[in-house]
Amino acid sequence: MIEVAGDLWSLLEKRGHPLTRPEATAMPARPYDSPAGQGVGAGTGVVDTHGTTVIAVKFDKGVINVGDRRATANFAVMYDKSEKVLPIDDYTLLAISGSFARAMEAVRYLRTTFKLFERTYLQSMSLDGKLAELAKVVRAGIPDAMQGIGGFIPILTTFDRESNEGRIFFYDGMGARFESAEFGAAGSGSMQIRGVFDYIVKTRKPFHDMNREEALKEALLLLDIAADLDAATGGWAKVLPLATTITADGIEDVPEDELRRIVADIDRQGGERIAPRR
Amino acid sequence: MYSPFDFNEAMNHRKDFVEEALRPGSPAVGIAYEGGIALLSVNRSQRKIYEIYDRQMFSAIGRQADIENVRLASIQMMHQEGFERSPDDVSIQRLVGFSLSPALKKAFGEQFAAPFVIRALFAELGRQPGTDNFFTLNYDGEFRQHRGAAVVAGTSGAEDAMLEKIGEPNPGQSREEALHKALSAWSTGAREAIKRRLAIGGRDDGDDYNPLRDIDESEADSVFLRDELKNGKLEVGLLERRGARDSRFRLLSADELDKLVQDHI
Repeated sequence: MIEVAGDLWSLLEKRGHPLTRPEATAMPARPYDSPAGQGVGAGTGVVDTHGTTVIAVKFDKGVINVGDRRATANFAVMYDKSEKVLPIDDYTLLAISGSFARAMEAVRYLRTTFKLFERTYLQSMSLDGKLAELAKVVRAGIPDAMQGIGGFIPILTTFDRESNEGRIFFYDGMGARFESAEFGAAGSGSMQIRGVFDYIVKTRKPFHDMNREEALKEALLLLDIAADLDAATGGWAKVLPLATTITADGIEDVPEDELRRIVADIDRQGGERIAPRR
Repeated sequence: MYSPFDFNEAMNHRKDFVEEALRPGSPAVGIAYEGGIALLSVNRSQRKIYEIYDRQMFSAIGRQADIENVRLASIQMMHQEGFERSPDDVSIQRLVGFSLSPALKKAFGEQFAAPFVIRALFAELGRQPGTDNFFTLNYDGEFRQHRGAAVVAGTSGAEDAMLEKIGEPNPGQSREEALHKALSAWSTGAREAIKRRLAIGGRDDGDDYNPLRDIDESEADSVFLRDELKNGKLEVGLLERRGARDSRFRLLSADELDKLVQDHI
């Protein structure tokens, strides 16, 4: 009677949904645009909004995600209260950087496809299956990304209830997946702070041995450094960053007063160390 | 030459064929209570109650292949709608009225294909008590909306007896109260179907053959239920209005089911 496609991807493909047919949405480069690329979106006449820096670190009970709140389009700040760490099921978070439009669609796709799978086959999708679904969405964005729009890079963090530990996976623009033992970062401010993660692990202790408070403080400090070194990453002078944890109990936002206290600590200690200019 | 008489006759043959196949099906009961809605049935082999979307669940009697087809089609249509628009736009009204009913009607009218053998019950959780929604959908595409409670069973007589047992809908009732009502209604409906089956065996009055004819009604229900639960398994699916999890749906655990049955019998 009614044809059943089996999974959401093939259903959307059959209907020609732009998520699965990115080349249909991509526009040819206009000859009068600068081919050298004056920032994101140059060459297409379309400027898309980008999320900037997201960070994930392990701690002894699971994983912490933090992200700044800024969304930019070229040199304009589009929004200062964006949320870049989003739950896709009870134990999985997606931290997004790059094109908001595409990343938000990916989040909706993943939420829907995980539920569809579970309700259809009466078992939840395996972690490997979830990671492959995410790779599919990232890969589908390549033709757009080649034209300078629509590229996004996610970090997927989850609490693995079989091995009873938090896990962090990051991706490149082609959809290749890597698992990280300690931390992950993505977005415009992430390259500037990459070495700092290693410095912390080698001189202090691995993130997975830290308690929640220690790991949260390091993650926020790293975000503060990214905001200092990257023009597109927002600081916390106006809006607090967001922090979310995943543990065996599921996903939880770090309460605002706790964030406020840690942020104030970092500001005070930083202020004491850096001599005032005279 | 194809006359109107042939058409009527052909449709009646199909109707008889489907009704005969539906008759022994284990009924399903949907009932609303203060904290959510419940679907209850006794399965004899396959699982019978399924989550189909965020606030929607489903149960049916009929052929397994047809039930599965309708279940998968429902899940797919609702997820597609929820993805392309919003989960808030997904409703069983649209699912049943817009998608399933026309397809079932068309299948029923196709003379050279086997008709669907299904009678389905859809339940949808509302935001407040009293706003929950039930739909029953028949093999020929006919559907009905119900508030407070709804049932599907092998015969319309059994369905009437079950609804009478449940009585006036009471959306403010507790979960326990609702489940006991649903369990009584299930026994009544399943017994009613057996009576009819015995009656077909050559006698006018099925009660002559009914082994429970000398016991009073409520006693008979308990005896019957106890007997049915020896071979079958009670199944209760809930959609709960409040809860920390993303999903509203859960099946009652074995412990919860045991307690329900013990309190009931």
